[in-house]
Amino acid sequence: MATIAGTLAQPTQSGVWSWITTVDHKRIGVLYGVTGFSFFLWGGVLALLMRTQLAVPNGTVIESDRFSQLFTMHALTMIFLAIMPMGAGFFNYMIPLMIGARDVAFPRLNALSYWTFLGGAMILSLSFLFEAPGGGWFNYAPLSERPYSDGLGIDFYVVGLLTLGLSSLMAALNFAVTIINLRAPGMTMMRMPVFVWMTFVISILLILALPPLTVGLIQLLFDRQFGTHFFIATEGGDPLLWQHIFWIFGHPEVYILILPAMGIVSEVLPTFSRKPLFGYPAIVFSGIAIGVLSWVVWSHHMFTTGMGSVPRAVFAVNTMIIGVPTGIKVFNWLATLYGGSIRFTTAMYFAVAFIATFTIGGISGVMHASPPVDSQHQDTYFVVAHLHYVLFGGAIMGIFSGIYYWFPKMTGRFLGETLGRWHFWLLFIGMQMTFFPMHFLGIAGMPRRIYTYDDGLDWGFWNMFATIGSYVLAVSLLFFIWNFFRSMRREPSAPANPWDAPTLEWGTSSPPPEHDFDAIYTVRSREPLWYDRDHGIAAPVATGEHIHLPPPSYYPILIAIGITLLGVGALSHLAISALGGVIAFYGVWGWALEPTD
Amino acid sequence: MAHAPAVAHGGAHVTSTGTENRKLLMWIFLGSECLFFGSLIATYLVFKHQVIERGIGPFPIDVTIDGKVEHGIFDIPLTSTSTFVLLMSSVTMVLAVYGAHQHRLKMMKLGLLSTMLLGLVFLGFQVYEFRTFGHEGLNLTTNMFGATFFLLTGFHGTHVGVGVLYLGSLLAASFRRNGLGRETGEHVEIAGLYWHFVDIVWIVIFTVLYLIP
Amino acid sequence: MAHGAEHTEQEHGLRPMQYVAIGAGLAVITIIELWISYADLGSLMVPLLLGLSAFKFVVVVGWFMHLRFDHRLYTQAFAASLTLGVLVTLALLTLYWGDAADSIRGYREWLNSG
Repeated sequence: MATIAGTLAQPTQSGVWSWITTVDHKRIGVLYGVTGFSFFLWGGVLALLMRTQLAVPNGTVIESDRFSQLFTMHALTMIFLAIMPMGAGFFNYMIPLMIGARDVAFPRLNALSYWTFLGGAMILSLSFLFEAPGGGWFNYAPLSERPYSDGLGIDFYVVGLLTLGLSSLMAALNFAVTIINLRAPGMTMMRMPVFVWMTFVISILLILALPPLTVGLIQLLFDRQFGTHFFIATEGGDPLLWQHIFWIFGHPEVYILILPAMGIVSEVLPTFSRKPLFGYPAIVFSGIAIGVLSWVVWSHHMFTTGMGSVPRAVFAVNTMIIGVPTGIKVFNWLATLYGGSIRFTTAMYFAVAFIATFTIGGISGVMHASPPVDSQHQDTYFVVAHLHYVLFGGAIMGIFSGIYYWFPKMTGRFLGETLGRWHFWLLFIGMQMTFFPMHFLGIAGMPRRIYTYDDGLDWGFWNMFATIGSYVLAVSLLFFIWNFFRSMRREPSAPANPWDAPTLEWGTSSPPPEHDFDAIYTVRSREPLWYDRDHGIAAPVATGEHIHLPPPSYYPILIAIGITLLGVGALSHLAISALGGVIAFYGVWGWALEPTD
Repeated sequence: MAHAPAVAHGGAHVTSTGTENRKLLMWIFLGSECLFFGSLIATYLVFKHQVIERGIGPFPIDVTIDGKVEHGIFDIPLTSTSTFVLLMSSVTMVLAVYGAHQHRLKMMKLGLLSTMLLGLVFLGFQVYEFRTFGHEGLNLTTNMFGATFFLLTGFHGTHVGVGVLYLGSLLAASFRRNGLGRETGEHVEIAGLYWHFVDIVWIVIFTVLYLIP
Repeated sequence: MAHGAEHTEQEHGLRPMQYVAIGAGLAVITIIELWISYADLGSLMVPLLLGLSAFKFVVVVGWFMHLRFDHRLYTQAFAASLTLGVLVTLALLTLYWGDAADSIRGYREWLNSG
């Protein structure tokens, strides 16, 4: 991985050790991005296996237990190991550049959060060698409890998510402080690019939503290891409590997945329409409103659990209200396109497709907001269609848009536009073919998570159709990978600002030097580079003063190894946990005493 | 807002809002901890009445089942004493912070040391309480009161333990040749924020668990 | 204890004796709380205890943790999170103690009836 990653940035030092000890936000961003994309491919393989099994009635490719593990791991991989880290890759690389800073507030903490993420990802993924979790990503009790899931699978889930949660918490704290405190002169909050705003909202959501999940996971861990009965009804516990706790985290998490894509699209559309974003304050406040409202809708995942009529009504109304700020954003994006002199690059294709497919997913989401309708949709393929329109058609489309958009900045090279078109159209068509028929299947009554179905149910045709679509999707990704390696073999040719974009990350060379900016910008507008261009203001010139960069450190990876061993010990032998604890403690001491000046 | 951060990482450099990065990090982290303890307290309260309805003791308070009075397990005077100890540790902590800011290092070290000791005394009380409850038949698996109580107070105790280690590390480091360096005040103040937070969580736990029947 | 206003005197915060006085005040409140929990005050008891506890909370956060004298941003960050934590806790309790509790009780009876 290091070799692929090594070609992505332009390091002054190279070699594996320099990557292990790096505290440079750009390199950590690349590590996040490459790791996230690798897991995206892995999650895709799991999905293809499932689609192959479901292609025909009474399929015999995969048996039922393995199928449960596949859909569980597919969801966990895509959510925690693909979309979130790919988003984190962009945060890491772009946020300091976009706010005109030279690094994040806590460079070593940044490295620590990446290595902890890698440890958690390893724990979760290597579960396949023993027993993968098979309780769904939501892992409902009491199925997740010892009497019903005796193997190691659920323990892998608990330990993996606790580790990943710790990593996300560290990253989120870091980015919240970075965005609040490291902005360039003149970069007021209301001049920050929308992507920075969305990162800020996500950071706050993560900081506040992860603790409830942690509590739930710890309670589940105690149930399984120490004989408590938090979620076992016959012993006085309550399985619904797990659902509440999980979704108190789970619903903000949904917006944690989609807001980065909304931020990316809000950067791409103005650049390629050559006009400022329409209704910037409305988009920013909509993002904040989504962040706030995401806390009061969690029980719409639980309409069929018998909560009583008043809670159902309250959560139904809240859920419909959260559609409003989302709708505001969609109309603002459309208004940004209106009257612009549009350049249809591949990044723009993905951004426009994002608006369309995300809107479809958003509308089916509003349908579920109505409890009686939801009672019909609950646990059918209709919900699968909805969530994939939002997460694939939304989050993944946005991320690809970001990859094409920022690739020249990150590598100094362009991705091929022709191959990019192939990638886009195959992905777009494949996506519609795979997920649109799932609406029909859901309405026709096909339940989620079944590993096979009978011949006479009439679900065969659309299932086969969806399976073909998923293979088209897979082929489109091959075009992307080809495109990537083809570009990487070329000489760097990208100028500092190839798209004539307005935001600060384009104000330094492509790829940026290790210290990001030779001289710090003074920001005078929401579109600083356009403002400077139109007012004839030259870029700031380096004063020649010494630029201090934090030195590399191996303590982050050491502490992360300690944390990972702590988790591994909980799954195997406590001696390993003890070893992990010692390593982590030693690492923290070394970290605290290490000079950073 | 007018000044650029000259150096782009933590420390007492000029920032966009004039707040210190590390201190801001700690405050936001404490906000996160609010949700953590909030969830634990909510879990405790959710099961509180249901434990009595099911009728499997021991219970936190006196309960009459089939005409027989089951005595509550809480020992309020004992817990009040440990609450007092933790409260006093906040006073010594704030004096340590004062000493650190004023470069009165002896006061700082004394403050840190007494805060640690008071924290350890609090933990001693907790160990004693847990053992007593165990002898009276309450453990994690007895009923939901046991599970939620031990989880909540246990995690609070863990936080106190981490705090003792945190303060102990600062104290040990302050004996080095350069002490805690230029940022002594900031380091001790941030540790103090953590310690006081652990104290206010206990203020809430003491009222909600022990005092309100 | 603090010998006048030295040049290192903080522009914010209190002097040591003032902190000790606050600590003594908090201890007194704790004793009052203890008294309330034993006295028979009927329906006044819970609001009184919650009120006193909140008061102690605010004093520690405001003075011991310096929020009273510090940058507004710290207060905003902490107060917002605290509010959310309290609201989520209350929402969860409402779901369990209110309308929803009946459904849960019914479910449990159904489970216990076999």
